[in-house]
Amino acid sequence: MLKTLIDAFALISTWEVIIAMIAASVYGLVIGSLPGLSATMATALLVPVTFYLSPIAAIATIVAASSMAIFSGDIPGALLRIPGTPASAAYADEAYAMTRKGQAELALGAGVWFSAVGGIAGVLSLMILAPPLAEIALSFSTFEYFWLALLGLMCATLVARSSPVKAIAGMFIGLLVSCIGIENPGGIPRFTFGITDLFGGIEPIPALVGVFAVAQVMRAMLTPEPPPLPRRRFGSIMAGQWKLTKLYHWQMTRGNIVGIIIGVLPGAGADMAAWVSYAMSKRFSKEPEKFGTGHVEGLVEAGASNNASIASGWVPSLLFGIPGDTIAAIAIGVLYMKGLNPGPTLFTEKASSMYAIYLMFIIANILMIPLGIAMIRVAAYILLAPRSTVMPIIMLCCAVGSFAIGNNMFGVVTVAAFGVIGYVMEANGYPVAAMVLGIVMGTMVEQAFVTSLIKSDGSVLPFFERPVAAILAAMAIGALLWPVMVWVWRKVKPMQTAAATTR
Amino acid sequence: MRLPDSVTGSFLVVLGAAAAYGGYILPPVPGQPVGPNVFPLVIGCGLALCGLAIVFGIGHSFEEEEELVPFENGQAASPPPQSKLYGLRALLPPALLLFYVAAADRLGFIITAAIMVYVTSTALGAKWKLALPLAALSPFAIHLIFGKLLRVPLPAGLLPTPW
Repeated sequence: MLKTLIDAFALISTWEVIIAMIAASVYGLVIGSLPGLSATMATALLVPVTFYLSPIAAIATIVAASSMAIFSGDIPGALLRIPGTPASAAYADEAYAMTRKGQAELALGAGVWFSAVGGIAGVLSLMILAPPLAEIALSFSTFEYFWLALLGLMCATLVARSSPVKAIAGMFIGLLVSCIGIENPGGIPRFTFGITDLFGGIEPIPALVGVFAVAQVMRAMLTPEPPPLPRRRFGSIMAGQWKLTKLYHWQMTRGNIVGIIIGVLPGAGADMAAWVSYAMSKRFSKEPEKFGTGHVEGLVEAGASNNASIASGWVPSLLFGIPGDTIAAIAIGVLYMKGLNPGPTLFTEKASSMYAIYLMFIIANILMIPLGIAMIRVAAYILLAPRSTVMPIIMLCCAVGSFAIGNNMFGVVTVAAFGVIGYVMEANGYPVAAMVLGIVMGTMVEQAFVTSLIKSDGSVLPFFERPVAAILAAMAIGALLWPVMVWVWRKVKPMQTAAATTR
Repeated sequence: MRLPDSVTGSFLVVLGAAAAYGGYILPPVPGQPVGPNVFPLVIGCGLALCGLAIVFGIGHSFEEEEELVPFENGQAASPPPQSKLYGLRALLPPALLLFYVAAADRLGFIITAAIMVYVTSTALGAKWKLALPLAALSPFAIHLIFGKLLRVPLPAGLLPTPW
């Protein structure tokens, strides 16, 4: 234990890791603070850079950039009422109302402080949950993996803020994309239409860059430029945060716990955690009438929640290769490329690397406080950069980055194609996160499904025979039927109230 | 690009059916009951079913209308012009990426990138005073990071970089 910890310290105390971490932090803060550029996009554009780093430094950049971007999305949310990342959308109104009351320092300070606390709570959950789960996961067979993957996919469709049918359709599209290529049980070219470039299949990373970055540039083409940030002088940012912590310690803890749970659920990420926590805070508050008028309580809870989900999203990613959210989906890609293949054995064979990941999360969240304060003070200047200078650079990074992934031009074509797919899906209410999850998990789902079928000789019964498999199956089927039950409930309830009023 | 649900739903039905058929005609692995054909078959059927459900508007009640953030005290920018061509502007980014694929080997990275930056920047409303220096400088910066530091083999083309 102690030796692993020392090894982990040795792994992260190299100049490469330290520089990578600080650079990625600044990058994450800047991208997160620019409206329209999300944390997922920041992480996706980092991937080509991580190729050229050592495994630990590569993971360090992902950890640092994603944590920072989630916090930094609060800045334009509070100052402009335009959330920098979707994860800040839940409470942008509230934070802006505080700014108008002259409490911008308190709102932004709460953003930094409770994000850092939430982030550290998330890491603790990762440290506590992952090793015992790894013990259990060692005895999993393909049946369990199949149900677990299915459960993950179903969760992603449940939490989408859209029609569940469209979310399931999005997931199927992703799974269909993952069918392309020769990496299938028969090893024969499937859906390649004779195009050699398609033999290797569609890489998840260019698809992600297309869906999250190119589609965003496409949307920018049709939306008006956000208004510039009014320049203001800030007072002390951290003043009063300790008082808030003591006053709202229960809300903070609840936010952390909700964030951790939502992060662990596959497919549900920081934005969902923030929405749920903000709603919860309002529901259980002693003074709910103050919500919406610039009340800090909801900010505390949601801010603590969205950052907690970032670290806990790594739990299913590291254990099963099932991403906890879209950022973790990218992280899985990087883990595979760096030889740290996700799986329960990672925690025994590469224990020092795991400890290094925990340590980096903790350091990133501590680093967030000074860097975040600095960022708040210079945000007015960064947000002066017009979209017409930022978006062209993003386009260049998309082109070069997707080329760099395989050193071939087909990556660039993939990015362009998925930009269009992502844009059309988003415009028509199909959640793209579900598709992304389908692409990332497709090969794994198919492998578990087909291997299980071969083992069971085509029979369905063995899928339910092992106890853990049966529980997971019940959960997955329950998740599938949940929207149906909600639908029926909504149909029945108005009828009952109508009957009650006519009586 | 907001299409009626019946259109996107029907498209999914066709896509699902095509995928299921495509899976069905794949050759099986000899002596093995399940091969590469099963998974596309299942997915195709599922997709087609989802498409049908969407055509019939099932699950529509769950959709939340997109919340537009209203600007206060008349800050709202001028309403976007509603001509047909305006919507096509969205296709500019993927078109530029395809242009990059087609031209980068011949023109080289610097020139192609400069054209991309200039066009994107102008399309987003930049004046030439901003777009031109940006187009001149940013390709070199990106080349420095990716080409020099990360050693990505970017095509030199007509204009070899000085380093």
